[in-house]
Amino acid sequence: MLLVVVLYAVPFLYLLVTSFKTPLETLAVPPTFFPTHWTLENFTTVWSTHGVPASFVNSLTTAVISTLISLALAVPAAYAITRFHTRAGRLFVMLALVTRMVPPVAVGIPLTSTLSALHLLDTPTGLALAHTTISLPLSIWLMSSFFEAVPGELEEAAKVDGCTRIGALWRVVLPVVSGGMAVTAIFAFLASWNEFLFALLLTSIRAQTTPLAIANFQTQFGLQWGSMTALAALYSIPVILLTLILQRHIVSGLTLGAVKG
Amino acid sequence: MRLTDRRFAVLLLLPAAAFLAVFVAWPIVRLVLNSFYDISPIAGGPRSFVGLGNYTHALKDGLFRAAAGRTLAYTLIVVTAEFVLGLAMALLFSTLGKRSAIFRTFFMYPLMIAPVVAGLLWRFLLIDNTGIVNAMLFRIGLLDSPSQVGWLSDPSIVLFSVALPDIWLTTAFMALVLFAGLQNLPPDVIEAARIDGARRWTMLSRIIVPLLRPVIAVVLIVRGIDAAKAFDIILIQTGGGPQNASQTLSLLIYRTMVRFGEPGLASAMATMYLLVMLAVAVVAVSTIWRPGAES
Repeated sequence: MLLVVVLYAVPFLYLLVTSFKTPLETLAVPPTFFPTHWTLENFTTVWSTHGVPASFVNSLTTAVISTLISLALAVPAAYAITRFHTRAGRLFVMLALVTRMVPPVAVGIPLTSTLSALHLLDTPTGLALAHTTISLPLSIWLMSSFFEAVPGELEEAAKVDGCTRIGALWRVVLPVVSGGMAVTAIFAFLASWNEFLFALLLTSIRAQTTPLAIANFQTQFGLQWGSMTALAALYSIPVILLTLILQRHIVSGLTLGAVKG
Repeated sequence: MRLTDRRFAVLLLLPAAAFLAVFVAWPIVRLVLNSFYDISPIAGGPRSFVGLGNYTHALKDGLFRAAAGRTLAYTLIVVTAEFVLGLAMALLFSTLGKRSAIFRTFFMYPLMIAPVVAGLLWRFLLIDNTGIVNAMLFRIGLLDSPSQVGWLSDPSIVLFSVALPDIWLTTAFMALVLFAGLQNLPPDVIEAARIDGARRWTMLSRIIVPLLRPVIAVVLIVRGIDAAKAFDIILIQTGGGPQNASQTLSLLIYRTMVRFGEPGLASAMATMYLLVMLAVAVVAVSTIWRPGAES
């Protein structure tokens, strides 16, 4: 077990310590593990590189917009699917799942012209819409599982008390599944935060996200390991911390769909 | 007008359906249409109808066939490795019982890392002369020189090497799902087998794996589909090289479109790729998954 832990921990640990090395030391032969000189040079370099701070803002904006759209669309859809067992609902789950199988590269090319027609190319909103095509099927799937766990009597009681159908959904059912909505939001957020291909195809300068900025360090200036590792660390650590804090919810989200089926 | 349950359900489904129609279905229609044209890469440039020309071109093209084969090979490598390691980990977790909680949390962290970052990190670990993996293998005597194995520069092994970060990233997903499946197995069956003196291996192959079959099917499908779509993780490590030896379909389509400036040909390739994926998906979903079916 300990060996596996080490194998799992070391790669990322190595990325972290490398980000504190001088640019010269990252190229040392043979490579060193711990820096001989600890320095923050890489962090100051990347942060002052043009476009890098802006890319963090873009990544965050895109991920937040995409998460909101995903939830706004998935929650009513999933509710309809689980509460009213209509044929349309079943067909819809199938279609949503099939969407998950569509390779992004296939949709990405024509999506460029769709977004261009909407004047959304190279904007966080445009990219967020593209990211929602990835997160929506998963969100519907997750939310369906959460709604299924809510007893139908709850709404019946609310309706008897004079709630309208929408009122019952809004005031009675949604508060019960708020935990599930949080889980779904995390997954939608991560899907957007870590996405690369759509960002590559659909943004150029203004809306560039950080994964692209990280990749740019290898094409523009040769291989700058120090800067790349520093930026990669800055980008990954917030979500890793988030995961550790919310780990129980995430595990439930990961395993929910598969084990139930 | 009275709002019946059915109408209400349709009303709730409508926004999501409209979104998928505009941002998934319509682009796919355009993709298929484009695949019948020879298109100039310049915006607003000329386009001429070539029928199935792009398809015959792609199918005759050695690059396309090789990339298709590689996509399949890559998917098999990733899924097999992840399944074996993931099942081993899940079994280890269940032997540890409650004490495994901390390990389970810990193993989750790569799942949150962007594939681009993982690809970069492994490229750095494996890079020929200055990579720490070779340096360590050299130090413990497994290699005669630190540059003996060219993980990312030797065409014969590069497809395995580029799969490493993918395996590192998502084995935890397999392990967690399989572990959850193991927790749900009927304990009396396991107990009965143990009392009958079933040995560990028999237990695993005759009892545990068959009982877990539905869960295994789902994780294999989910991960298989994702692995077949892999793009950034490979692009960042090798860009498809050396000598195209790690160029999978996603990369080839991207390059045909962006680098070689042939949107029509790229669309034909993408359409065929999409059709195969959808066929696999439909078969998988309708035979194994059956979402929404009343249990």
